[in-house]
Amino acid sequence: MKIDDLEQMESEDLSTLSSAERRRFLKIGLAVTGMYLGGSILSLISVKNAHAAGVVPEAGTYPYNPHYSMVLREHLCIDCERCKEACVKTNHVPSYGFRTTILEKRRSLGEDKSETIFVPVLCNHCNRPPCVRVCPTTATWKDEKTGIVVMDPSRCIGCKTCMAACPYNARYFKEETRAVDKCDFCLQSRLSKGETNPACVEACPADVRVFGNLADPKSRVFQLVHAPDTMVWVLRPETGAVPNVFYINS
Amino acid sequence: MKKVFVFVVVGVVLFSGALLFAADKAVPEDYDEDTYGPKDPIVWEKPVKAVVFDHKVHTMEGGLECDSCHDELFQMEAGAAQENDDFTMATLYDGGYCGACHDGSTAFASNTRCTACHIGVRGSDRLQGDAAAGKKAH
Repeated sequence: MKIDDLEQMESEDLSTLSSAERRRFLKIGLAVTGMYLGGSILSLISVKNAHAAGVVPEAGTYPYNPHYSMVLREHLCIDCERCKEACVKTNHVPSYGFRTTILEKRRSLGEDKSETIFVPVLCNHCNRPPCVRVCPTTATWKDEKTGIVVMDPSRCIGCKTCMAACPYNARYFKEETRAVDKCDFCLQSRLSKGETNPACVEACPADVRVFGNLADPKSRVFQLVHAPDTMVWVLRPETGAVPNVFYINS
Repeated sequence: MKKVFVFVVVGVVLFSGALLFAADKAVPEDYDEDTYGPKDPIVWEKPVKAVVFDHKVHTMEGGLECDSCHDELFQMEAGAAQENDDFTMATLYDGGYCGACHDGSTAFASNTRCTACHIGVRGSDRLQGDAAAGKKAH
């Protein structure tokens, strides 16, 4: 474009801006500000029917039946690792991975004394499982009947996104199958064959692990987590995954 | 002047090193195996893995005599009790073996503070030295 042509063109500087144009622009600005301000004021008004929810869902609101879950009576765990051995044997877990393991922590008892606490961990079979949400090939999902988070190794492409998403470090990559492997409450190896308990539960000599249907008020897991004067907690509740593995100390 | 400074620095480093090393030693110099029993803790492997008994805690620190436990509750041979079929928690609750004292009045009850003796597979690997743990890792 030649400089002469440019000179012929209409100016775009402020002198050509009409009042109506300015007004319209200001209006948009005010509308946006108003939206945010209104939202902030609204958020200050208390919600009357809100109540603090515990980690244990209200009775009768379990999404599955059977709604399989596990209660771990933490202070009884002695890290004898029979559960791990049983799991390895039942589910062919290689030495570099685990479906369940025992963590160890120390708690001060004052002065120089401390006690050891062993924490058994496994897949929490969350109601809102982050691993399922991130899987690009739907190789992992929540079983419609039991709520167990299951895997189909043949659909897994080994991208390991689920491993990164899991708040509980409950998944590992199994070289042998070239797929991610995880605890399925022994659904494939035992429950589907008529057994009532996963291998780890059966192996535990100290009755730490209790497995059952949380939707059944007569089940032991239901009674343990709904017992009066009992503190029930879950690991990493802040992730919002709504886990189904509960911890108690009684 | 510079030489003196270097000397002092080296001295301080060596001295603090020696202090740390001394603090690291779990068993004091004056531990006498004839009076207090074997220095190394016994780690039971049956009926469950990784349960510890430390003579030092019971004799030197707790003030028990050899004949408080030997030969009535335990025979002298270290770890022999685990070959018995009745070496179980149930027997302890009935006052057998450790349960003779660990009854809730003389010492903490056998059905409390599980991890005080059950140090776990991790704990026992740690206790039995890095050699064993290292072997496992490689």
